[in-house]
Amino acid sequence: MSEGPELRITVPARAENVAVVRRAVTGVGDAMGLAAEAVGDLQTIVTEAAMNVVVHAYNGDDGPLEVTASRTGHELEIAIRDQGSGFRPRPASPERGELRLGLPLIAALSDGFEIRGGPGEGTEVRVRKLIAPPDEEAEEIESAPAVAADAAALSFAHEAPVAPVLSRVIGILAARADLSIDRLSDSQLLGDLVSVTPAGEFTDGRVDIEVSEEAGQLAISVGPLVAGASERLLEEMELPEQLGGSLQGLASEVKVEESADGSERLRIEIDDAR
Amino acid sequence: MQPGEVTLERPNGSIAVVSLRGEHDLSTVPSVREKVDEAIGDGAGLVVDLSSAEFIDSSILGAVIEAGRRSEAGGLAFAVALENPAGPVERVLEVTGLAESMPIHESAEAAIAAVAAGGEAGG
Repeated sequence: MSEGPELRITVPARAENVAVVRRAVTGVGDAMGLAAEAVGDLQTIVTEAAMNVVVHAYNGDDGPLEVTASRTGHELEIAIRDQGSGFRPRPASPERGELRLGLPLIAALSDGFEIRGGPGEGTEVRVRKLIAPPDEEAEEIESAPAVAADAAALSFAHEAPVAPVLSRVIGILAARADLSIDRLSDSQLLGDLVSVTPAGEFTDGRVDIEVSEEAGQLAISVGPLVAGASERLLEEMELPEQLGGSLQGLASEVKVEESADGSERLRIEIDDAR
Repeated sequence: MQPGEVTLERPNGSIAVVSLRGEHDLSTVPSVREKVDEAIGDGAGLVVDLSSAEFIDSSILGAVIEAGRRSEAGGLAFAVALENPAGPVERVLEVTGLAESMPIHESAEAAIAAVAAGGEAGG
């Protein structure tokens, strides 16, 4: 079975969510040892492509924005996808200050890019950025997963840098949930604990974690997991005594959700009222 | 980790300095426009300070250019401050050529002085 990209992150295509994918890609770039300027370029590239999706793909309706990051040899390939109405020329509106610099910026800051898709097919912008040391082989990219409202769905290949990306996504969503500083750092600690879940515990062999926030609560949902994995995870997520001794002590609530097909999700909720 | 902030201050009592801090993109353009509206409404000249901005996208660039146009249309002086140019902000200004065409100064003080003098020359 092919593993797919190092990271796939899916969010609802809204302007405030572009910062989430920007930070996730920053995490990947940092973890892969890209130079600071190259990471900055990635931030701009991803933001410009993602904003095009937010503004043009769904005509004001909701829809998914998907960003993947894959390493192929000595290149990092980032793809920004939507399932919307396709890429069409539209006149700029100078009264709204639109500059139409997005694609030229993507072209100028990347080491190669292509746009695929068409009317009714959605759009994919693929961008390449060189990184220094050559490494693993290219892997197949799989099709888009479902996306829940107000959530960032993350999917990692089994040796991908989960912790730095998850930590940044949790940081920004915990801040949006207005959690106190203490609970924000509890959230990141919980994120670090779930980051080491082996890919083998997941039904698709990839580390799948969804982070969502709603009404002052942050939720970290791990799965779909194989049957029994939640119990194993909870046993392994022991904390030093001085931090409360167990995962339960840190989270507001921990739930194991079982599905008819035998798979499970481990849901960890954090809010300020512990 | 919060979205970027925009503030409006008048360090010399009259000229408005609109400062962008942290990360800014399309989602913060309304806040930027709001502060620019307020500044232009006061009619004393406008400096947009990008020195503490960690990231800006093309829509924020558009909002800054728009602020310049609106200032000009209202007969107000306008300048941009970018202290210690570095990082994605400087890179985007360079790559788009806006570093040449916008009145950018390497300190807030220099930008304020340029606006007080009524001119737009960058330096």
